[in-house]
Amino acid sequence: MKSYLPFLVAGLTNGSIYGLAAVGLVLTYKTSGIFNFAHGAQAALGAYLMFEFRERIGMPWPLAGLLSLLLAGVVAGLILERGAALLASASVAARVTATVGLLVFIQGVLIAVFGAASLPTRPFLPQKVVEFPGVNVRVEQLIIVAVVVVAVGGLYLFFTRARLGLATQAVVDDPALLGLAGTSPTAVRRFAWLVGSCFAAASGMLLAPAVALDARLLTLLVFFAFGAAAVGAFSSLPLTYVGGIGIGVGASLVTKVVGEHGFQGPIQSLPVNLPFVVLFVALLVTPARKLVERGDQVVRRPLAPLTFSRRTNVLGVAAGLAVALALPHVVGAKLPIYITALAYVILFSSLGLLVRTSGQVSLCHIAFAAVGASTAARAVSAGFPWPLAVLVGGLVAVPIGALLAIPAIRLSGVYLAIATFGFGLVVQRLFYASMFMFGGRFAIRSPRPQLGWLHTGTDVGYYHVVLAVTIACLALVVLVRRSRMGRLLRAFADAPTAVDAHGTNTNELKVLVFSVSAFLAGIAGGLLGPITGTAAAASGVDVGGFDFSVSLLLITVLFVAGRQPVLSAVIGSVLLVVIPSYATGETAQRWNPIVFGSLAVLAAIAGGRSLVELLRSSRRLRERAAEGSPVRERLTRPAGTMAARPVAEGAR
Amino acid sequence: MNVTAAGPPAPIAGAPDLVVDGLTVRFGGLLAVDNVSLRARGGVITGLIGPNGAGKTTTFNACTGLNSPAAGTVHLGDRRLDGHSPAWRARLGLGRTFQRMELFDTMTVADNIALGRETLLAGRRRWTGRLFATPSEGTLCREAAERAMDHCGIHHLSASTVGDLSTGQRRLVELARAMAGGFRFLLLDEPSSGLDVSETEQFAAILAGLVGREGVGILLVEHDMALVRAVCSYIYVLDFGRLIYEGAAADVLSAEIVKAAYLGSEAAEQTA
Repeated sequence: MKSYLPFLVAGLTNGSIYGLAAVGLVLTYKTSGIFNFAHGAQAALGAYLMFEFRERIGMPWPLAGLLSLLLAGVVAGLILERGAALLASASVAARVTATVGLLVFIQGVLIAVFGAASLPTRPFLPQKVVEFPGVNVRVEQLIIVAVVVVAVGGLYLFFTRARLGLATQAVVDDPALLGLAGTSPTAVRRFAWLVGSCFAAASGMLLAPAVALDARLLTLLVFFAFGAAAVGAFSSLPLTYVGGIGIGVGASLVTKVVGEHGFQGPIQSLPVNLPFVVLFVALLVTPARKLVERGDQVVRRPLAPLTFSRRTNVLGVAAGLAVALALPHVVGAKLPIYITALAYVILFSSLGLLVRTSGQVSLCHIAFAAVGASTAARAVSAGFPWPLAVLVGGLVAVPIGALLAIPAIRLSGVYLAIATFGFGLVVQRLFYASMFMFGGRFAIRSPRPQLGWLHTGTDVGYYHVVLAVTIACLALVVLVRRSRMGRLLRAFADAPTAVDAHGTNTNELKVLVFSVSAFLAGIAGGLLGPITGTAAAASGVDVGGFDFSVSLLLITVLFVAGRQPVLSAVIGSVLLVVIPSYATGETAQRWNPIVFGSLAVLAAIAGGRSLVELLRSSRRLRERAAEGSPVRERLTRPAGTMAARPVAEGAR
Repeated sequence: MNVTAAGPPAPIAGAPDLVVDGLTVRFGGLLAVDNVSLRARGGVITGLIGPNGAGKTTTFNACTGLNSPAAGTVHLGDRRLDGHSPAWRARLGLGRTFQRMELFDTMTVADNIALGRETLLAGRRRWTGRLFATPSEGTLCREAAERAMDHCGIHHLSASTVGDLSTGQRRLVELARAMAGGFRFLLLDEPSSGLDVSETEQFAAILAGLVGREGVGILLVEHDMALVRAVCSYIYVLDFGRLIYEGAAADVLSAEIVKAAYLGSEAAEQTA
C-alpha cells in the first residue's frame, strides 16, 4: 500500500491543476454558451509568457508570473468576452470552429515565436522536501494543492454568497431578466471570462515546470480538463473540481498498476489517456437532460448556400477537369503534393457532408482516414487486390462512424463536438500504435496499385488513379446531396424536430450520414498511404499525417473555404495542402496554422460565411447602398419629419 | 424509452379522435401536466386554451412523443401512441406545428412543403426509404405540395427562401407543410401568434376549409380568443397543468373560472 502513496501525491498535484483549468472552462461555458476549445492553448500561452519574462528578460518569478497572468488571463479574458458576445447567436458549428480556430492560432503563434522543440523550464516554487509518514512531499506540491483549493473554494463561496456570484448563476438561466433587474449580463460575462482565463493561464504556469515547455504538450494536457468538465456535466463547479482530482489521481495510480503488471497493447498507453476515455465515456453515460446546451436560444437563421447556374457548374467542372489532367505535365517533382491534395479533396467533401449539409460537427475526421489507411495497407499485404483493399479501408471506417453516431444520437451541438474530439484522441492515442492499426515491429508497406498495362506505380500513373477515385467520391457526394437523403439532411440541419414530427426518425439519419462520411474519409486515408509507400501515423505529405490536430485544421479550413459541396473541398485542399508546399519549407508550416486559425475565427464571427460569400455579400451591399435605402432616407431626413416606424416585423 | 424505431405503421384512416387519458408530465420537481384527460374529435376543431405556462405545449409534446410522461395514455383512433417515437406517430397520421416555428429556413417554400410529404414517405419505406425517392413518390410529393400551397394561398411564394419570409407567411408555410403530410389529426401550437388581424381571419378560413373538406381533426392551442371563438366547436381550459373547465365554445369563454385563470381573479371580479 505504501508504494502507492507517492503516486497518490503526484496524482493529487496534477489533478488539482486539471481541476483548476476545468473549473475555469466550465465557468466561461456556463455564462456565455461558448465552449472554449482554446482553453489549453491559453494555458500554454500563460506558461510561455512566464518563460519569456523570467528566463529571457530575467524578472524574478513572482513578477513574471503576475505579468503573464495579467496578459494571458486578464487581457485575453477581456478579448475573449468580446469575441464570445459576437458569437452569441452563431450556429453551433460556427461557435465550435471559432474556438478551435483560436486554438490553432495561439498554438501556431507560440510555435512560430518559440519554436516547436520543447524548452527546459526551472521550477519556481520551493522544491524543499517535507517528510510525511510513508511519503516525501515537495513544498511545491503542497502549495499547488492549496492554491487550487483556495481559488476554487473562493469561487464557490463567491457564487453561493456574493451578489455578483448569484448574478452569474442568473445570467445562465435568463440573461434578459437579469438585465431588467439592473445587473448587466455583460459585466457578469466579463467577470466569468476574466476568472476563467486566469485559471487557464495559471494552470499552464503550474504545469510547465513538471512537463517542460511545449505548446502541443501543454495544450494536450489541458484537454485533460475536458474530461473533468464532463464529470461535472459541464455545469457543476464542485463536481468539475472533484473530476479533475479524480482524473489526476486515477491516471497516476493506473500508471503504477500498468507499470507493475507490464501490460501490452492499448492498455499500456491507457494511463496517460485516461482523461480522454473519461471524457468520451462521461458523454456516453451522462443523462442527456443533464447536458444542457447553453446559449442556444437565439440562433441566427442559417444562410442558404450559394448556388450557381447550371452553365457555371458545367463550365466549372470542365475547367477543373482540364486543370487536373494538365497538372502532371506542369508541376514536375511536386506531383506527390497534388496526389495528397486530391485525397484531401475527398476528406474535405466528406467533412462538408457532415458539417455543412447535416450541421453536425466532427473533430475527429482524420481518425477515420487513419483507419482507412491502415486497413487498406493491411488488406493489400493480406493479398487483396488494390482497389478492393481501398474499398475495404472505407468500409471498415463505416462501423466506426456509426459508433460515433451513438453520441450523436444522444447529444447535439457542442457536446457532440466535444465527444468527437475525445473520440479522435482516444483512437489516436490508444489505437494508432496498436497491432490493429499502424503498430508492429515493421512499418506497414502500402504499395501502389499494379493494374495490368497501366503504369500506376509511377507518380503520374498513381496520380491518375487517385484522380479517378476522387471524381467518383465527389460524384457520390453530389448524388447524396441531390437525393432524398441530401434533402432530409438539409432539413435536419435547419429543424431536426420538424423532421421527426413529419415521420423520419432522425437517429437513423445521423447513423447514415456518419457512415457515409466515415466511408469517404476512409477511402481518402487508403489513398494517402501509397504516396510514400508506407502506412504510418505520419503518412501523407506535409500536412501532419493522421495526428488529431489535422482534424482541427480540417474544420477551420473548411469554414474558410465555403459551403458549396465540391468547390469548398477543392478550395480547402488547395489552401491546406498545395499553397503551403510552395512557400519555402519551415516558414510555411509555421504560418499555416496562424493564418487558418485567424481566418476561421473571423469567418465564424461573420456568421459562418466563407470568403467567397463575404466578397459577394459586400458587393451586394454596395449595390444596395447605391440604390438608396429607406433607412438612409430616414436618417438623412431633417429631424422632426421622421415617419412612424412600421411595427409589423415586431413579433419576429 | 421508445419501444419501436422504424416499424412503419399503416396510416390510420377516417376521422380518428385524439384521446388523452390521465396524462401526467413532470420536469424534476415541477408538475407540468397533472392528470389531464381530453378527447378531441375527428373532423372538427377543438380548442386547448389557458395562460402561459399552463401546460398546453407540454401536452402537445406528450402527444407527439417529444417528452416522456410519468403517467397516462394517448390514443389516435384505436391505436395507442405512447411509447412510440415521434416519427412513428407522425407516420400513423398525427401531425403538428410548433409555437417557435420549426421550418427548413435555408430551403424554398416549395421544398419545405414537399418535404412535409417526403419525410413521411422516407420514414415509411424500409431500408432505402431514407436514401432516395422513387419517381412515383416524387410525383406524389409535388402534387401534395401544390395542393397545400393552393389551399393556403401561398403559391406565389413557392420559390422564395423560407428564412426571408414574414412571420405570417412562415405560419402559413408551416401549416401547408403539415397539410402536405396528409395527417389525419393536427396539433397546432399558437398558429396565429405574430399575425395581424386580417392575416388571422385568413388563417381561420384556411383552417375551416381544412377541417370541412379534408375531414382532418385539429387540436388548437391559441391565445387569440377571436380565432378560438370563430373556429372551435369544443374547448378545454388548462391552468397550472390541470384541466379546469371544458365545454362548448360559447359557454367556456363566458365562464368565470376561465376569466379568472386568464385575466387574474381581480379582473374577473371587475367584469362580474
